[in-house]
Amino acid sequence: MIIISIYDLKPGDKALIHSVCGDEKFAKRLLALGCIEGTEVTLKATAPLGDPIIINLRGFNLAIRKNDAKNINIKTA
Amino acid sequence: MITAALLGNPNVGKTTLYNALTGSNQYVGNWAGVTVEKKEGFIDNKIKIVDLPGIYAMDTYSNEEKVSKEFLQNGNVDVIINIVDASSLDRNLYLTTQLKQFNKPIILVLNMVDVAISKGLDINYKLLSQKLGVKIIPIVASKGTGISDVKKCLLKEDYITTSSNSLKFKDEKEAYAYIEILLKSVTNKKNEDRVSISEKIDKIVLNRIIAYPLFFGCLFLIFMFTFSWVGQPLADFLSSLLNDNFVPFLTKLLANNSPWFSSLLIDGIIGGVGSVVVFLPVILALFLGISFLEDSGYMARAAFIMDKLMRKMGLSGKAFIPLIVGFGCSVPAIMSARTLESDKDRKLTALLVPLMSCNARLPVYALFASVFFHGKETLVVFSLYLMGIGLAFGIGILFKNTLFKKDEEPFIIELPEYKLPEPKSLLIHTWEKGKGFLKKAGTIIFSISVIVWFLSNFNTTGMVDINSSFLAAIGKFINPVFIPLGFASWQNSIALLTGLMAKEVVVGTMGVIYGSNLTHVLPNYFTPLSAFSFLAFVLLYTPCVSVIATMKKEYGNKMAIFSLSYQLVLAWIVSFIIFNVGSIILG
Repeated sequence: MIIISIYDLKPGDKALIHSVCGDEKFAKRLLALGCIEGTEVTLKATAPLGDPIIINLRGFNLAIRKNDAKNINIKTA
Repeated sequence: MITAALLGNPNVGKTTLYNALTGSNQYVGNWAGVTVEKKEGFIDNKIKIVDLPGIYAMDTYSNEEKVSKEFLQNGNVDVIINIVDASSLDRNLYLTTQLKQFNKPIILVLNMVDVAISKGLDINYKLLSQKLGVKIIPIVASKGTGISDVKKCLLKEDYITTSSNSLKFKDEKEAYAYIEILLKSVTNKKNEDRVSISEKIDKIVLNRIIAYPLFFGCLFLIFMFTFSWVGQPLADFLSSLLNDNFVPFLTKLLANNSPWFSSLLIDGIIGGVGSVVVFLPVILALFLGISFLEDSGYMARAAFIMDKLMRKMGLSGKAFIPLIVGFGCSVPAIMSARTLESDKDRKLTALLVPLMSCNARLPVYALFASVFFHGKETLVVFSLYLMGIGLAFGIGILFKNTLFKKDEEPFIIELPEYKLPEPKSLLIHTWEKGKGFLKKAGTIIFSISVIVWFLSNFNTTGMVDINSSFLAAIGKFINPVFIPLGFASWQNSIALLTGLMAKEVVVGTMGVIYGSNLTHVLPNYFTPLSAFSFLAFVLLYTPCVSVIATMKKEYGNKMAIFSLSYQLVLAWIVSFIIFNVGSIILG
């Protein structure tokens, strides 16, 4: 199993969440939104200027910054 | 009276439910110490509903969560109304599991059951109610279905009270595992997800080429609606009604009274009322537009596409809108900063808004540009606008790294499904803003107007003209401050003082104290360089009293005083640099 981050995905790619690290507030909020180990996540789109990005999990869309995306580790499905 | 706390995730129809339950019987205030709105409404004077801010959890360190937690613990809450999106139950129920920890009866309102059904989701309400130990009421808030059930349930106090609490989890993972198992047992999903309409709209709205023209188009429409088509013309109409019809009528009526009395009534009081009233149509028009963007779901997209740029000044993408509105008028712009996500964003934006050159400053630029920079008017005015924007970036970065360093909030924005805003919600929200402005800011603006009227018409001997008034004395006293800036004359000091009322008043005051023909007189008092230094000062110094009053109303005394003083300092420094560096260059 190779662990990479959401940052490395391309639009349309799906993966499973492995862990969230980085800033405590950021990690805690994502966990509360159900971004926990084993959850399926899709990289939906990037903003017109390339940053931020939209990810989809549990049926809803979230916008996050690319820098933060590096802190969401995934296992490729 | 029974106190019910209304809680739920953002974008699940909480405000719609709240409006439907309480009608127009509501009061908006602030939670102590933070810029989070406190809304209270009543049903039949029997039930008080407190609308808490939309949150996803109770423990991720936001002000909204702290306020909610504090209220649930100490607010004598009898019952919790927890509204959830029936089509996205897992995330919504996470908050519910945390609400269970407060040991209060919960009414779980399942909103948008129609959407859930259309997605093929079948929910066993009875089983869900049993397993969670909460009362369940399915509704469709946007269509008004089920609202009466919620009301009835509250009035009859028909809740489920359980003392046992089995929903304690050690972390998010355990909580979600429980919710997933629970949902498997009480729901039945028939068909797979289809591509939703929102997704199709986003393909266009967030498209690489279309996104920005569309966004600027929306802003242009709102700006025109507020300042050209509806808001400003209405304001002008009101003010002309006051000045051209009511004032002459009153003058005639007061002809036989002493001059100070008619001046108090006409210049002091009516003038004061006038300076409050002219803002109202502009505020109402702007908030109609902004509420439309907010309620439709577009605002989150605007934040998304503008984030990369606005991040540079330490703000989130949404802050772009208040800043643009600032070019029209700082008062509604500061009020609209309240739509931003975090306390830090709201405060920082409100501090930067007055640096955007508002309409009222234009008459001053126009006068000086035509006198001192003939043929280069556009360039001069444009450079002032650019200076404001540039300084906003600089100050934004400075404040972000100093004052607001601790309050950095992570950028996570939900992009909700698009929906057509409901007229009732739009109107209630817009009216609330107008009412709040009149009640809170209006009284301050009015009283300061009357005080300034008094200072500029009186001295210890009684009523005099402005040249020998208290205000002139103050002007003469502060005059030395302007010597290093190149435009010190007591006349200018007085003009700047009266400019606190509204910046366009600077021109009017100069007309009165220099004598009428400013075009000929001004070159005796200014060089082109000191004129430009003066314009920079007018651009940057303390915003008008209406802005200060609005700042106080929205963010409290400390912010108002800080905003006032930092701008004075900034204006002085920038004018100093312009005049002195300019003097060296021009030799």
